[in-house]
This record gives sequence, C-alpha cells and structure tokens, in this order.
Amino acid sequence: MSEEPENTDRSRDEIISGEYVLGVLSAEDRRKVEARIAVDRRFARQVARWQANLSRFNDDYEDSIPMPGLYAGIERRLFLGHEVAQPGLWERLWGSVAVWRGLTIASVCIAAGFMLFSSLSDLVGGPGSGRLVAELSGQDNGVNLVATYDIASGRLDIIPAALGQDQPKSLEVWLIGKDSAPESIGILPANGNGTIEIPPEMRFRFAENKTIAITVEAFGGSPDGKPHGPIISQGAIRLL
Amino acid sequence: MEDTGYLLGRVALGDLKAFAALYRATSPKLFSIVLRILRNRTEAEEALQEVYVKIWQRAARYAPEQGQGATWLAAIARNQAIDIMRARRPEPVLLDDTFDLAAEGPDPEESAILVDEGSRIDRCMQSLESDRAEAVRRAYVEGLSYQELAEYYSVPLNTMRTWLRRSLLKLRECLGS
Repeated sequence: MSEEPENTDRSRDEIISGEYVLGVLSAEDRRKVEARIAVDRRFARQVARWQANLSRFNDDYEDSIPMPGLYAGIERRLFLGHEVAQPGLWERLWGSVAVWRGLTIASVCIAAGFMLFSSLSDLVGGPGSGRLVAELSGQDNGVNLVATYDIASGRLDIIPAALGQDQPKSLEVWLIGKDSAPESIGILPANGNGTIEIPPEMRFRFAENKTIAITVEAFGGSPDGKPHGPIISQGAIRLL
Repeated sequence: MEDTGYLLGRVALGDLKAFAALYRATSPKLFSIVLRILRNRTEAEEALQEVYVKIWQRAARYAPEQGQGATWLAAIARNQAIDIMRARRPEPVLLDDTFDLAAEGPDPEESAILVDEGSRIDRCMQSLESDRAEAVRRAYVEGLSYQELAEYYSVPLNTMRTWLRRSLLKLRECLGS
C-alpha cells in the first residue's frame, strides 16, 4: 500500500512516530505518544514499523559486558519488589556502622585454636547431622551471618549469607584484649570462602577475657593494621 | 544459542532459567545501548537493571509478528535510556493537544507481518544528503534530543526539526509501507 501524500494527518503521524523512534522528542511529547500507542492501533503499527525499519542502526552498538553482580541486582528487584535503585550493599554497610551494633554473637566458640570458614554450599545441616546452626541478622541491613557448629569436630563455621558483590571487600578478624589495641588475626574474602590459621605465637593469647571481632575492610585487609570498617560481628571468647 | 523470541515466550510464562539465559545472550548488546546513550557507567548499570525488570514484566506483550525479539529488546533499552536523558534536561514541547485525538480512517494492514528491513534502510539512507543521513543516524544511536542535535550541528532548533522531518518523510516514501 503506497503513501497518499495529500493525507496530512497520515504524514504527520508518520513524522511523529518516526521522531519518537529516533528519540528526539521531549519527555512530555514522548508521554503523549506512548499514551496514543496504547489506544490507537494504527498509530502503534506505524511506530513498530519505524522500529523495524531503523533496527539496522542497532548494529552501531558494539557489545559491552556489564559487571558480574548486575544480574543478582535484577533478581533482587524482581523478587524483593524493590522498585527504586538501592545503593549497593557495601555502601550501606559503610554508611551505617550503628546498624551493626545490633549484630552480635553472645559468644564465639573456638576449638583447637583456629577458625574455619566454609562456603555456603557446605551448609546442609539437618536433624541428626550433629550440627547446630544459628542465624544472626541485623535489622534490615540485608546481611545475615549463619553460624554452624559441628559437634564432632568442634568446628565453627561463620559465613555471610547475603553479601553483595558490588565491590570486593575482605572480612578481617581481630583479637581484642581488655586493655590492648585490636590485633589482626587474618583476613577472608567476602564470599566467605577461606580459612584462618592462627599463627602459633598468637594461639596462647586466645584467652577467655578476649573478644573476637570481624570487620569489613578494604580488599586485602586494613592497610595500617587498625580496624576501619564496620564491625559485623563480635563476641567474647569461650573455650570449649 | 536459543532464539530470542523463544526465550521471551518462556519468560512470559515465568521461566527464570530462560530469563537468565536471555540476560546472558542479550545483555552485552543492551548494556552497550544504555551506556552509549547515558554516557555514564554507573547510571547505565542502574538503567540496565530497570530494562530487564521491564523485560520480565512485559515479555507477554512481545508479538513476533511485530518484529524480531532483538529489535523489541533494543527498543526497551533505548527508550529507558532516552527517558532518563529527557528527564534531566527540559526540552521544548512540540505536540499540541489535538495530537491526542486518534486519526480517523480505516485500520489497514491488519494481517501484514512486519519484517526488519535491514538492507532497505541502508539503500534509503543513501537517498538522503549525507549530512541529513548522518543527523538521522546520530539522533537514533546517541539518543539525542532535537535541542542537543541542533547544538551539535550548530543550527537553529527549527532547522534541525525541518531536516529530520523531511528526512523521515523521504525515508518513509523510500521504504514504502
């Protein structure tokens, strides 16, 4: 079917639908066009036709890989119902140390002088498995810790259950004496995979009037040996 | 790799695995689109998330007879990015109230299936003067407004409108119905 140049309404609509697809219209005009698309099928087809005709221009866009954690953000929006952009998880942690004061463990059991952190997939404890599981969570800050204590081996696993991947961070573990400055025991990657083996010279210092604390630090740990990031967990040492 | 249209059909049924597969297959292109138009990586990442939320929500609306899946997806990405750009900077409004009235007349081409006429646009673009063709392509790819285009080409706003409108009419005539 050929164009009828005398039909000024038709030509005008062709222009407007073309302008819409090109993207040159103002915000208000775009809303008007979209409202019309919803009710005027012939007009909607004109828009669709321009989109098809100009689709070859999409070849000018060369592939660009988005950051790896982005898909997780999409799922969060879809299934947690967040309609507006959330600041990244790490930004929220950094910005609200006070929130973390609510996240404490009554006591941290340390067996045999070392702590093991295992990956989330190892957490399959059930009835009769000889494991105790505790979930520790702060209020509405999106990070939960899951602590699993294996009775037979005396192994305590503490893993972050919902750390985002927005920026790489490390969890640094500190030994805090009553009157002394915190001492770093070691660091873990933020996905919870890793083991800390306490250096032999430190093991005797794991005494009952000391506290263990975990803070979120820059990737690789605190640059100057002092804790800077928010404390995500702390507890008094109680030896078994 | 599975066909985009097939994956969209699965997504419309709520198939999350298909959605993840669709993301893997199409996100590099769609990210490139929002990145090009927004020119800011953080905003582009934010926008891309919104794009895929919309894809999930609207997958049932994709109709293969209206064109290819890749084109439908690209349009969502471009519209998202362009809306963000237009919200930043007020632009003159062109359409008056009479535009809201739907045009009278028969509803033609009900059964015509749209195909993406890739090669035809190349030929028809050549029928335009080269600077007009460049303006058309730049408008589309960069997602520029009339005001931004006028500034880029250092011409008055009305001149740019005339350029593009005449170009669109010429293209439509060349492309046919």
